[in-house]
Amino acid sequence: MKRSILALALAALAASATAATPAAPVLLHGADLHTVSHGVIAGGELLIADGRIAALGAKVDAPADAQRIDVSGKRIYPGLIAANSVLGLTEVSAVRATNDMAEAGAVTPEVRAEVAVNPDTELWPVARANGVTGALILPRAGRDGVIAGRAALMQPDGWTAEQMTVKSAAGLVVAWPSDRVPEWLPQAARDRAKEAQQKKRDALAKAFADARAYAVAKAAGTVRVPDLRWEAMLPALERREPVLLLADSAVEIRDALAFAEREKLRPVIVGGGDAWRLAATLKAQDVPVILGSSHNLPKRRWEAYDSVFAAAGKLAAAGVRIAIANDGDGMAASFERNLPYQAASYAAFGLGEEGALRAITLAPAEILGVADRLGSLDVGKQATLFVASGDVLDARNAVERVWIDGREVDLTTKHTRLYDKYQSKYRGEPKP
Amino acid sequence: MRTFQRMRAASARVLSITVLTVMASAGHAQVSTTPPAGIRDRTPRVVAITHARLVIKPGVVVDDGTLLVRDGLVAAAGARVSVPAGAQVVDAGGRTVYPGFIDAQSRYAQPAEASEAAAAAPARRAAAVTPAPTGARHWNRLVHPETDLAEQLKPDAKSAGELRRLGFTSVLSTPQSGIFRGQGALVSTADAERLNEVLLAPRAAQQLAFEQGAWPSDEYPGSLMGAIALIRQTLLDARWQQEHAAWAARHAGAERGEANLALAALAPVVGNQQPVIFATSDELDYARALAIAREFKLRLALAGNGHEYRRVAELKAAGVPVIVPLATNEAPAVEDPDRALDVSLAELEHWEWAPYNARVLAEAGVPFALTAAGLKKLEEQFWPALRKAIAAGLDETAALAALTVQPAALLGVSDRLGTLEPGRQAQFLIADADLFRSDTARIHETWVDGKRYVIGNAATPDPRGHWTLSWSGLNGPAALDISGELASLNAKAGNATFPVTLGEQQMLLYPPGELVGGKDRVAIVATLEADRFSGRVALPGGAEARVVGTRERAATRTAAAAAPKPALPGTLRYPAGEYGRAEPPASPRALVVRHATVWTQGAQGRLDDADMLVVDGRVRAVGRDLKAPTGALEIDGRGKHVTPGLIDAHSHIAIARGVNEGSHAVTSEVRIGDVLDPTDISIYRQLAGGTTAAQLLHGSANPIGGQSQIIKLRWGADADGLRLAGATPTIKFALGENVKQANWGESFTTRYPQTRMGVPELITDSFLAAQDYAERAKAKGGEPQRRDLRLEALAEILAGQRLVQIHSYRQDEILAFARVAERFHIVPTFQHVLEGYKVADVLAKLGAGASTFSDWWAYKMEVVDAIPYNGALMARQGVVVSFNSDSDELGRRLNVEAAKAVKYGGLSETEALDFVTRNPARQLHLDQRIGSLEAGHDADFVIWNAHPLSTLAYPEQTWIDGRKYFDRADDAREQARIEAERARLIAKMLPERVKALAKADKGTKDKPTPAEQAAAELFEHGWHSRLASWRTPYHNSEPVDVCTDEEIH
Repeated sequence: MKRSILALALAALAASATAATPAAPVLLHGADLHTVSHGVIAGGELLIADGRIAALGAKVDAPADAQRIDVSGKRIYPGLIAANSVLGLTEVSAVRATNDMAEAGAVTPEVRAEVAVNPDTELWPVARANGVTGALILPRAGRDGVIAGRAALMQPDGWTAEQMTVKSAAGLVVAWPSDRVPEWLPQAARDRAKEAQQKKRDALAKAFADARAYAVAKAAGTVRVPDLRWEAMLPALERREPVLLLADSAVEIRDALAFAEREKLRPVIVGGGDAWRLAATLKAQDVPVILGSSHNLPKRRWEAYDSVFAAAGKLAAAGVRIAIANDGDGMAASFERNLPYQAASYAAFGLGEEGALRAITLAPAEILGVADRLGSLDVGKQATLFVASGDVLDARNAVERVWIDGREVDLTTKHTRLYDKYQSKYRGEPKP
Repeated sequence: MRTFQRMRAASARVLSITVLTVMASAGHAQVSTTPPAGIRDRTPRVVAITHARLVIKPGVVVDDGTLLVRDGLVAAAGARVSVPAGAQVVDAGGRTVYPGFIDAQSRYAQPAEASEAAAAAPARRAAAVTPAPTGARHWNRLVHPETDLAEQLKPDAKSAGELRRLGFTSVLSTPQSGIFRGQGALVSTADAERLNEVLLAPRAAQQLAFEQGAWPSDEYPGSLMGAIALIRQTLLDARWQQEHAAWAARHAGAERGEANLALAALAPVVGNQQPVIFATSDELDYARALAIAREFKLRLALAGNGHEYRRVAELKAAGVPVIVPLATNEAPAVEDPDRALDVSLAELEHWEWAPYNARVLAEAGVPFALTAAGLKKLEEQFWPALRKAIAAGLDETAALAALTVQPAALLGVSDRLGTLEPGRQAQFLIADADLFRSDTARIHETWVDGKRYVIGNAATPDPRGHWTLSWSGLNGPAALDISGELASLNAKAGNATFPVTLGEQQMLLYPPGELVGGKDRVAIVATLEADRFSGRVALPGGAEARVVGTRERAATRTAAAAAPKPALPGTLRYPAGEYGRAEPPASPRALVVRHATVWTQGAQGRLDDADMLVVDGRVRAVGRDLKAPTGALEIDGRGKHVTPGLIDAHSHIAIARGVNEGSHAVTSEVRIGDVLDPTDISIYRQLAGGTTAAQLLHGSANPIGGQSQIIKLRWGADADGLRLAGATPTIKFALGENVKQANWGESFTTRYPQTRMGVPELITDSFLAAQDYAERAKAKGGEPQRRDLRLEALAEILAGQRLVQIHSYRQDEILAFARVAERFHIVPTFQHVLEGYKVADVLAKLGAGASTFSDWWAYKMEVVDAIPYNGALMARQGVVVSFNSDSDELGRRLNVEAAKAVKYGGLSETEALDFVTRNPARQLHLDQRIGSLEAGHDADFVIWNAHPLSTLAYPEQTWIDGRKYFDRADDAREQARIEAERARLIAKMLPERVKALAKADKGTKDKPTPAEQAAAELFEHGWHSRLASWRTPYHNSEPVDVCTDEEIH
């Protein structure tokens, strides 16, 4: 019962905060500050004011009205960013009516992820309760899809999708066509995959050519009625917006990179299972990688059992800029809370804990162009951060309190509610 | 010529073929019941092949012998055979006579439609009802042992000619479709209008294969394990039919048994009279077929698949003949280094080893026959493939045996075929001595039951040798030497060398003018006989001269010495290729881990700075300062943690060709244990994650699924070596969305049950049937009872001999099944049980186990209320809880899953670790052997680099039964070996691959079968779990056994 009263209070707090009443400054003191940008400040203090980090250090000057919260022995981290997600675009992935992940058609650059994110999804609070305060939501490609739409960086706070949106047009999503087919399938499967791949490649090439033609016409002032598709691609063509290239195998990555170079785009490789095999190229072309989950099997039986775990460390060692994300499919949405643990598997096999933490905080913020606002504990950045009972990469520890833009948010979830409810059953209480 | 008159009556097609055939002295070998058309054939039927190098049987050779053939049979063969008066004499001219070849796996003379229908197994038939066949047949479409090819074959002159040109004189034409495919017919390759003339033995063998449909479909079986169960049940039924008929005959008034042509046709099979040929598609099928043959005492021969060399010890031990295909695989696509990544080391190695296959078998003493089956361009490929095998070290005598006496023996016709001993059918070929070695050696003639077939212009004698010439009309040289290859002969006379070509019994020589006293080159056209030619020289101006050549009898040509045997490509490991083992890990008699943190998960709890002593594969003691026997292996455990090996209570690794027999609603007869895949790389990967034992479960596509198999992850062992011997058997049941086909699409709406209301009723009904079955089985004497494998497994549950593992999610279905369990006094373990926390009191009261996920939820409707506190909440109510993987990937980091029970619900670390060690052992009734490190328990343990519940921890060593199955340092060395081997093999095959690319002819692509089309479509739609039946061994662990589609969990 105590817990739900607290929950109500917090909910009220969150609600009032969103209503734009400036909250009193908050001073968190006694915790180790894992800044990500400049090391760990042991037993430090962090001041939240006007939604931002007003100060942090071993000791900071706090205004007299600041609410002082003792978090001694805890750790404070910047909020985690899940940089490849469909949170809010799906609820129950097996139930078609709840899915809004992939539009029909090969080329749908006009669709925007943020408009279909359900602010009342049960999934995001669960992820948020484990420190995930940002997610790059990507439209997915359907079976025939290649240009899937545009991604948006969202945060789990706000009454509407608009209030949740941190940055729209965060990247044009191109699902690089694959022809990978298990060796044990009949030739017919390979032939079919090859055909489908060619169709998608043709559609992709044509879309870029048409969009460029449109750009020329637009510059000349001859466009009378806008074409929604090519309009949506202009920022990417002009390198104002990155192109998120979903590519996984070595063949896909090399072909996608060659395409990006020909088209003079600003590519980001998303997925990138084999990216470590092309680390030198990625480094040379300064292409960042949003790496998929470490909790995948090696693609090939001969590869080292730990080859996926070791991939991030190898990329980092080669100087490639990496973020770590999940795999962005419908199933992954319910596993988004495990982002720190799959980062930990990368940490254990070569990336190191510091690198792993950076890859789920500051690194994605940098790749997405929001490092001025998010990703680390620095003065002036948005106060999007959380308090954990210990190392956030360790599954035994708990995230205890979370702030988003300086507002503390409720950590009760469907899970905690059901837990409370059924504990009461075994205490012999009547069903509420 | 009378033959000619007969031929005129035949069709033009036959005429055109028969002109190649010289109908020599032997006419039809049999007395025919067909009324003769026209004049009777009375050609004398005694033939003597003289001056032959006679290979009477493999290893028995007579130089310059005579073979006497009378009435289509060998009358005599040897050096001193007298030629009777009136015999037709054929002078072999020193050439070699071999017994005719036999192919025991042929498609010869089969109507084309039959083999096409074979390929058209339905792949995705949804709820379609298989039409009942006509006739009193087996209920299952794939069981038609009564099929008799002797009723269907039609001699085919074109194929017969092709086979004869290769040396084949008899073939077993085998049926190509189904599980019990039917009975093959042994036929000769003689030309015939009617099968009657060439049929040597009808019903020579029953052909079986593990054919299966593809799940989902209502067509049984949809999995390999289903096919095996169907084979066993059918053989039981065939046996029972015999017993019942015999009993009924003794009991007046007994009820008549069901008439069934299929079962009746199996009488000679279960009676051990008719050979059974089991077609295999990979190296794991041998053991499966052998197990069936042992159980039913069959006369088994295996039709192999080219991977026999990998399992040679097993084949040797079985002592069963194997029919080995000569076809080998082409070099895989390695020319693009990024695509070459997708080729496994096992596949690369197989390319190198495949030509050595027959040699390895021969050297091991495995009886084997060779078959041309699988060669796409038979005539182009047969001899090169055979010679390749010989070049790889296959002994020539063994090769000949594999084409003659071995197939004859396995078909039980050694008294009729395979050698040139008296009484055998006169099937032989006349060829160059080095037929088995040289690409230019030829077969000149093939004789089938006394009928002579001359091949091409092979009747033309070999002109090589020294010729004495006598000229008329000009003065030419007195002698001539002809040498070179037959295709490019050269003559030498004096100082001049000039070309010679051969025509049909004709030779053309082109001497320069000077040699014959002229200016310009002339042509000599000569008729060529064995040791004489007679030529005509057309001279400029219309004049003509003649020349006659004679030579001494050519010496019997013996083949050049065989090339020395090449070395084998390397050491065989198991599994082949990557991470395979040449031998099992060493088993030290004693070992002790010193100064480690030991999580015993037993009464001793967690001990810091402790020792663990292992003797003879079992834990002897855990404690401080333990005394170890002298010579014990000492392992420094300082800074390390030791835990019991992790146990995965819900796994689908190492299962071949289908995790679900999802066709029928009840399939308790199928057994995961029949389809283990010890080559699954997941075994190794999970060892590397600390997992040492797993319960391999059937899927959840039906309310009563199949029998599970509990294994230890003994990577490198074969299927039998994986089994955890002595474990109480278990079986999968399932509830909810999957069994009611909720996510299968709109075409699956008719199988009972479609609701959660129907599920418990169906299960109750099945248990009642099993109760009744068990009671009837107990009745002694009387009518022979039919053994029903489906009910038998259910009866075992009721007798407490088999544990139910029930897939479940929602509390309502859990409760409903709990009531069924109470009624039948069974104590199940609930799998998944994600709403178990809502009825934890019910589970606790029932004493049921709960094997759940740590934190899975939301992916389908019945898991929307799943919470990560489930495990802890149930544990607090007294339920024995485990966390499982249900995933090839998750199964290698169960320790972190356990850690989540600390986070969600606040269990102690030891309690949490119990979820993946002691508790799954308790659920499986194995806690006296595994799951905790206590005296007497199996030494299955993991040495971790850090606290085992940390996300940063990984195993450094994993031990099973006191043997080290994983070691991170060994693994690093193995990876280096794999990289080096890959580089070597890719470099070696690149030239062949580049050549193949250059002549890539796209026209020869086979048209995909409907099943292949369907598979391609399923893959494109992302229905990967429905492709499980396609997945072969040595796969990459592509996720077909678990979800990307939602219906599996």
